[in-house]
Amino acid sequence: MNRVINVVRMQLVNRQAYVWVPVIVLTGSLGLTLAIYSIIAGSGVQGPFYGGGAQAPLWCLLAVGVQALTLSFPFSQALSVTRKEFYLGTLLSAALTAMILAAIFVVGGLIERITDGWGLNGYFFYLPWVWEHGPAAAALVFFALAFGFFVLGFWAATVYKRWGTVVLTAALVIPGLMLVAALWFIGRANAWVQVGRWFASQTAPGWALWGLLATAVLAGISYLILRRLVP
Amino acid sequence: MTTVIEVKNLTKRYKETLAVDNVSFTIEKDAIYGLLGRNGAGKTTIMSILTAQNFATSGDVRIFGEDPYENPRVLGRMCFVREGQKYPDEATAMHAFRIAGLFYPNWDQAFADDLVADFQLPTKTRIKKLSRGQLSAVGVILGLASRAEITFFDEPYLGLDAVARQIFYDRLLEDYVEHPRTIILSSHLIDEVSNLLEHVIVIDKGRIVMDEETDAVRDRAATIVGDSAAVEAFVTGRQVIHRQSLGRVTSVTVLGRLTDADRAQLAAAGLDATPVSLQQLIVRTSQSTASKEGALL
Amino acid sequence: MIEEGRPLFVQIAEDIENSIIDGSLAEDAQAPSTNELAAFYRINPATAAKGITMLTDKGVLYKRRGIGMFIAPGARDLLLGERRAAFATRYLDPLIAEARTLGLGPDDIARLLQERAATTMEGTSR
Repeated sequence: MNRVINVVRMQLVNRQAYVWVPVIVLTGSLGLTLAIYSIIAGSGVQGPFYGGGAQAPLWCLLAVGVQALTLSFPFSQALSVTRKEFYLGTLLSAALTAMILAAIFVVGGLIERITDGWGLNGYFFYLPWVWEHGPAAAALVFFALAFGFFVLGFWAATVYKRWGTVVLTAALVIPGLMLVAALWFIGRANAWVQVGRWFASQTAPGWALWGLLATAVLAGISYLILRRLVP
Repeated sequence: MTTVIEVKNLTKRYKETLAVDNVSFTIEKDAIYGLLGRNGAGKTTIMSILTAQNFATSGDVRIFGEDPYENPRVLGRMCFVREGQKYPDEATAMHAFRIAGLFYPNWDQAFADDLVADFQLPTKTRIKKLSRGQLSAVGVILGLASRAEITFFDEPYLGLDAVARQIFYDRLLEDYVEHPRTIILSSHLIDEVSNLLEHVIVIDKGRIVMDEETDAVRDRAATIVGDSAAVEAFVTGRQVIHRQSLGRVTSVTVLGRLTDADRAQLAAAGLDATPVSLQQLIVRTSQSTASKEGALL
Repeated sequence: MIEEGRPLFVQIAEDIENSIIDGSLAEDAQAPSTNELAAFYRINPATAAKGITMLTDKGVLYKRRGIGMFIAPGARDLLLGERRAAFATRYLDPLIAEARTLGLGPDDIARLLQERAATTMEGTSR
């Protein structure tokens, strides 16, 4: 267990990637969004305003996930860390980062509620649908997204290292094809109404749990590949 | 002596190529071994398999009597820094050493600091911005300061200039004397490292062609030069591994120690005997093996 | 200093023998340690140890338990005897062969030897 903790410390020695860049990206995105809101508010439009800027740090985490495999894994192997220790330690680091990010988002959302959208009726963190079931549920959603993006990057990198570009592209394209196939089946069975109703009944925390399930699957696949991966 | 590494019938196949071909050898505790051979001979592949970074197609590997795969007990006692080692992005040399200190129980930071001074390594610069030589220095320092019970150096000193390489050899020897451990050095700069090695294992095209004590091999061959007829007369019945002629002068490299009687015979025939360095011996043997089958030694 | 084509441990041993013969290492003096030799010649200590062992087996060195290796009494005489016995094979035979190539007989060699010895061996006879 000690060695797993040491893997976490190893990942966090690279504080820039795990902490600073996401913070800077987040701050930058927030600042930009608020600037845009104030311009729009200044021209008389009422609001409330919602933007997609909050997703920016997620893409950082995707990149971190990729690099965790492409750069940290070979180094850990030189230091004779086992693949299992590396895997657990890396996921733990990702979870910690995701938790902190989720906390920031929750705090941000609470601030926005109190200040009525930074006084501009503009919202960055507080998306009503996500917050429907309270701050704890919102935290779960943010955590699932952040952790999911990391694992997605990590998984994609393992597939790429093991089998190369062609297989990775296929792996990314196939879910899209499956979706199209699913839509076709729903059309055939004329089940649009039922499916629509089911979708509408899902809550944000519900989606978060589905997301975590998908993340777990990707994480599991990554581990199976990692076990036989040559750095 | 205790055996720390045991390799039996190790084979590694990549599609049609046989990178490692039925290799067997043992490594004894606390000795310095040279794993010598040409580029692409299979040295790195073997070391990767021993440290569980790569996987054998068939065969058996035991480190401290156990299978190294996913075995922290065994892996924690080994260190393998390879040529072209990757480091975490944005990491500096200082970060790398700090991380190494987390995983190696015998890590000596003071020793690492001394080596940093010796190699004039800028520790606060990001590793990806370092020059080739500085990058090699990082690898060398990691290997030395880890004081791991089994340390592999896979030509990490490529990129170091001659002065820096000599520093590496000197520090290696000094530290080995103070803190004996098992060291396996792979190199194609054979003559440079031969004095450090107690034992040499030579690999050619994935097969072992020599596995001996260095001193036993040092006088294994001699080059006889002189009048062609006289040379041929002298070398009849001896194993020849190299022959070269220029006009009436022939130079032949033969296997076998020259006794005092041999030397007298050579002097009487007006022939010269020149010594054959380890590197020349290995090169000539490889060339010779390329034309015949099987190992000559 | 280190020659190619000859086992290192033999060369180390010979260097020590030379020191004994020329008097820089006296009898009962301490011999250089394995680590000192390794550092000096930049060689593996195991090789240095082999050289020491060879000399010990020959009777040139002996071990004082807990202290180290020392030059054995009578070592110098032993080595001189050995070298004298090999002298003929190692030096004289090649000399005679070369002389023959040049058309010089034993009498010519003897005369040359006397001339040379008179000038070069002054002050070095023991």
